[in-house]
Parts: sequence; C-alpha cells; structure tokens
Amino acid sequence: MDITIQHGVFVIFTLVTLGSALLVVTVRNLFHAALYLMLCLFGVAGLFALLTAPLLAGFQVVIYIGAIAILIIFAIMLTPQVTRVIKTTNAQWPVAIVVAVLFFVMILSVVSPLMDELGVDDWNADFTQEDADRVPDSTLTDFGESLVSRDRFVLPFEIASIMLMAALIGAVLVVSPDAILRRDESQPPPSDTSVSADTGASGD
Amino acid sequence: MFEVPSLSDLNIAATLPVMSLVLGTCILLLADLFVPQERKQLTAWLAVAGLGVSLALSLLSLGDVTRFGDGDEAFAGMFVADTFTDAVNVIALVTALLGVMVAYNYLERTGTQRGEYYVLLLFTTAGVMFMGAAGDLVVVFVALELLSIPLYILSGFRRPQEASEESAMKYFLLGAFASGFLVYGIALIYGATGTTGLHDIWIAVDDIVAGDATSQYLLLIGAGLMLVGLGFKVAAVPFHMWTPDVYQGAPTSVVAYMSVAAKVGGFAALLRVLAAGMPHFVLDAGAPAAWQDTVWLVAVLTMLLGNLVAIVQNDLKRLLAYSSIAHAGYVLLAVAAAGSAGLADESAQAVVIYMMAYAFTNVGAFSVVIAVEKDDASNTGVTSMRGLARSQPWLAAAMALFMLSLTGIPLTAGFVGKWFVFKAAISADLFFAVVVGAVTSLISAYYYLRIVWYMYFEEGDGEAVIPWPLAAAISIAAVGTLFLGVMPYLLTDMAREITLAFGG
Repeated sequence: MDITIQHGVFVIFTLVTLGSALLVVTVRNLFHAALYLMLCLFGVAGLFALLTAPLLAGFQVVIYIGAIAILIIFAIMLTPQVTRVIKTTNAQWPVAIVVAVLFFVMILSVVSPLMDELGVDDWNADFTQEDADRVPDSTLTDFGESLVSRDRFVLPFEIASIMLMAALIGAVLVVSPDAILRRDESQPPPSDTSVSADTGASGD
Repeated sequence: MFEVPSLSDLNIAATLPVMSLVLGTCILLLADLFVPQERKQLTAWLAVAGLGVSLALSLLSLGDVTRFGDGDEAFAGMFVADTFTDAVNVIALVTALLGVMVAYNYLERTGTQRGEYYVLLLFTTAGVMFMGAAGDLVVVFVALELLSIPLYILSGFRRPQEASEESAMKYFLLGAFASGFLVYGIALIYGATGTTGLHDIWIAVDDIVAGDATSQYLLLIGAGLMLVGLGFKVAAVPFHMWTPDVYQGAPTSVVAYMSVAAKVGGFAALLRVLAAGMPHFVLDAGAPAAWQDTVWLVAVLTMLLGNLVAIVQNDLKRLLAYSSIAHAGYVLLAVAAAGSAGLADESAQAVVIYMMAYAFTNVGAFSVVIAVEKDDASNTGVTSMRGLARSQPWLAAAMALFMLSLTGIPLTAGFVGKWFVFKAAISADLFFAVVVGAVTSLISAYYYLRIVWYMYFEEGDGEAVIPWPLAAAISIAAVGTLFLGVMPYLLTDMAREITLAFGG
C-alpha cells in the first residue's frame, strides 16, 4: 500500500485521540483531565474531517469542545475540592477491563463484517472521499431543513425544545436555592391549613 | 426546496390531547409568576384544570366519541395516534391528577411549596404521553428525556435535605448513563435497518430476517441496548439499583407519582419498540421474536428479586420501592408475550389493564405513606402503621385495600391486572415465567399483609395528617381499585378496543 499524507494525518489524530483519552482517566488532577478531554475531542474532530465529514467535525468542535468541555471546566472550578483526586481506580478495575474487552470484541465482531456492505472493500482504502460527486455538498442545509420539514424531525425538535425548557426551570431551581430558601424562612409555613382535617390524630 | 408545512398536512389535530397539555403547562408557567407565594393553591388548581382538559380530550378519543384528526399517524409517522396512545394518555393523566392532589398539602407542610413543582409534573406527564405515541426512535429518546429530566429535579425538590439531594443525584447520574445505552441502541438499530421510523423498521425487519446474520446481530444488540435503557426507567432487574434509594430519599408525593408515571412511559415505549417495531424479528423461522427470551428472563429475575428483597424491608418507602420493582416484572411478562406471533394486541391490552390498576393502587398506597409521614420526612417505618385501624379506621381500610390489590387478591384491581398479564403470557407459552409469577405473588402476600397486621392487630399511636385534597386522592384511588376489581368488565371492554396501529 502507498503511504499517503492522509495516512500520516490519520496516525497523528489517532495518537492524539487515544493518548489523551488514556490521560483523561489516569491523571489525578481533575482539571488536567478536563483539558485532555478537550484534546481528545479535538482529535475526533480531526478524524471526522479526514473522513470527509466537515459538518460533523464542526459540530464536534462547536458543541463538544466549545460547550460541553467548557461546562465541565466551569463545574470543576466551582467545586474546588474535587480537583484533588487521590485514586483514579478502585478494586473493581480488573473486572472492568474484562467487561470492556468483551464488549469491544462483541462490537468488533458485529461491525467488521459490515465493512463489505458499507462499501469499504479493503482496509487500505482511502479515508477521504476523493470523488466530488459522492460528497454531499449541502449537509448543513439538509440538516437544518430536516429539523423543521414536515416529513422529517419537526416533532422531536419541538419536544426537545419543551424538554430544554423543563431543564432550564430545573437548573434555576437547583442553582439558586438561596433566594428561594430565604423567602421560605421569612414566611414560616402557616400551621393552621395543614392540620385542619387532622381530627383523628391523637396519641393515647 | 423547503416549503412551509400546513397544519392539516401534519395532521396536528391527532396530537390534540398532548398538545393541549403542553400548551396548558406553558400557560401555567407564566401564570405562576403572578400567583403570590402564600396562595400557591391557585397554581395547583390551574394544574388540575390543565390536566382535566387534556384528560377530557383523551377520554373522548378513547371512548370513540370523536376522533381527532384523520388516520393513525401525525407528523409523517413520528406520532402514532391509535387507541393505545389514548389509553396511555388516560393512565398518565389520571396519575398526574392524583399526583397534584397528594402533593399540595405535603409541599406546604414540608416547606417546599413552589409553583415549579406543578409545572415540572405536567411536563413529565407530557413526556409520558409522547412516549406512548412515539412512532420514531428519535421521538422515543427525546420523550424519554422530557419524562426524566423533570423527575430528576422533582426528586431533589426538598433541596436542603440531604436524602433528597442524594436521591436526585443518584437518579440523575444513573439515568443519564441509561440514556446513553438507549441512544447507542438506537444508533445500532439505525445501522441495521437504515431508518429510525418504527413503521419503516417494522417493514425493514422482514428483509433483515431473510438477509445475512450480521445485520440480525446488529439489530439484536440494538434492541438489547434499548431494553437496557428502558428497563432502567421501569426499574427492571438488573437495572433496578437506583429504585430503593431514590424512592426513599425523594419527597413522597413525587414518588407516588413517578413510581407509576415512569413505568407507564417506559412500558409504552417498550411495546412501541419491541411489539410494534420488531415483532417479526426472528432468528429461526417460526420461532417467537428474538428478544422474547431475554425479556421473560428479565421479567423472572425482576419478580424474584423484587418480591424476595421486599420481605426484609422495614421502611415503607423502601418496601414499596421493591414492590414496584416486582410489579415491573409482572408487566414485563406481558411485554414478553408480545413476541409470539399475533399476540401484540393482547399484550398491549394486558399492559394497559395492569397499569391502570397499578396507577390507582400504588398512588393510593403512597398517599397513605404521605398521611403518616412527619414534616421532617421521618416516621415512614413499617411500625408507623401500628394502631392505624383504631385512630384512622377509614385510612387503614383504604391501605388494607391497596395492599390486597398489590398482592392480587380477587375483587381488587390488582387481581384483574395480574389475570390478564398471566393470560397473555400463557397464550405465548411462557409457562415457567407464569409459574414464577404466581409463586412470587404468594410470597408478596407476606410483606403486604404484614402492613395490614400492623394496622389492625398491634397497638400504637397511628398518627396521620389527612387534609382534604389528600383524603380525596385516597378516596378516588380506593374507589378506583375497588371498582375495577368488582366490575372488571368495564375496563376490559374498553381495553378490547385497544390495538397498535401496526405491528403484531
């Protein structure tokens, strides 16, 4: 097989992804782990780009690195105690490895025969789709339209918006307890309403 | 190019019951802003009104008085509006109504009266209704999150209290993990069938069965991972670990609601995915569906573990948590039965009957726990039932009725539910699972009747607080339990009309 520049790029991104993924779970400083997670996600974005999926690569950067990883860093910075992790494994780790390996073998055994169906005829095939006709030119437009067009995903889109509103209400409830609690303390719950029907509760 | 869809093309009228609830909830959210803190009963009343409108619409549709929209599908197959949807809507809304009634005074006396409680409760109900109507795996997932996220928050609603926070945290972390399994399963099913629409999957499965083994295994793993995700929601063994801790720590009014609502949503979605989506998914010609063995095995484990561990529980909320695990096992029996050819509709009917009976009985049982619970969330031990028959004879009688119904004694709703579940399982030749179900029902009598014994034959204070909304909820639940038990044909005649729009 010919070594092309794509192979080199693939190796670099793979090493970045796997190496930083390993560091995420092994470093003891939680803050460093979050930074490695961002690097790992960046490597995945690179792989997507290599696979001629620029939209996915963009999503990977904007959503995962731009939003989720930043959110994780915020959470770590707001809770200073958690940055010092004494141990990163517990007594169950050998079992976890066995399960993980078994799961990997299972996925591999199912997915690898599918390569033929998916048109990947041999393992040396190019990653990048060179044929311009086979690359959809407007994935972003398709994506946006499928979210709102009537025979696609308009209903899940609407439900998701309701769900996000519920999550927002919940987030406000969870993170701003002080105002709510103080208000409750300033107004002791009225004692007459809750026991109005409490006629039979007598101790003897 | 893109064109603006007209509402009639979407057949949006078919979604009227759930859409009216969503709209009502949004109005409630705004209206709550103008309700002063000391008059939050107004919010509760508005919530009841919103649920009532939606319930009336669902009943009209279920009773065949009027059909909304035309045809079974809306939003190009994303939303299925068949009689099963209507039945799920009715169960979810009745549960939510009872949930609001039991919550009102409980929130007030525990100092957690906030309008958001009712808003979140209504959002969860909308999630349950969307799950029952899901015609697409994407809708299943989004509706599951709409069902789950408000429940995580409600579990931690008693926030400064550690037990409540712990319960919310556990539920959230494990729930998010379970959602991951569900999405993984959806992705693999999409990989195997090339579609996420359940109707298209139903058609595609025939090709896969005729095709090569690899796609079959991909579909099998996908279905298995979805079973994990939904099994978590309904608290099936071995995905049940969260249940006792969450039920014990969460506010009891939340548990009363979610012990039923989450199950209704989970089982409705399981039926949609397994019974409607892939009933023809067989590995050997003529055999039952490939997922049937797994489901009945999970059902057997769930019934055994739930009932056996419940025996040693001394806290009422933990005991009812294990009892709810056990009941998930009975319903799973009916789901497993749907894997045999031609039994999908019968199974759906059995699930509906069982969940209807369970809704009244279980909300009722938790309402009694609310009545005896102290303001600081203590006094939920089994011994708190001591002497209740003397101090609160009606409350004790209602609790005894609920316990008999959970055991499955004739003349109660629980018996009717178990009857139809076992009948469906016997039709599917799942004899071993049915025997396990019958034996574990006998075992369950021990711990249910132990509560009755404490109430009637032991001395104690038997203190209870029963404000009128709670009394009304317990009365409705008791009447419902008795009514469905004495006149089962009312429910079963209705259930006979229930069919899945496709599948079977």
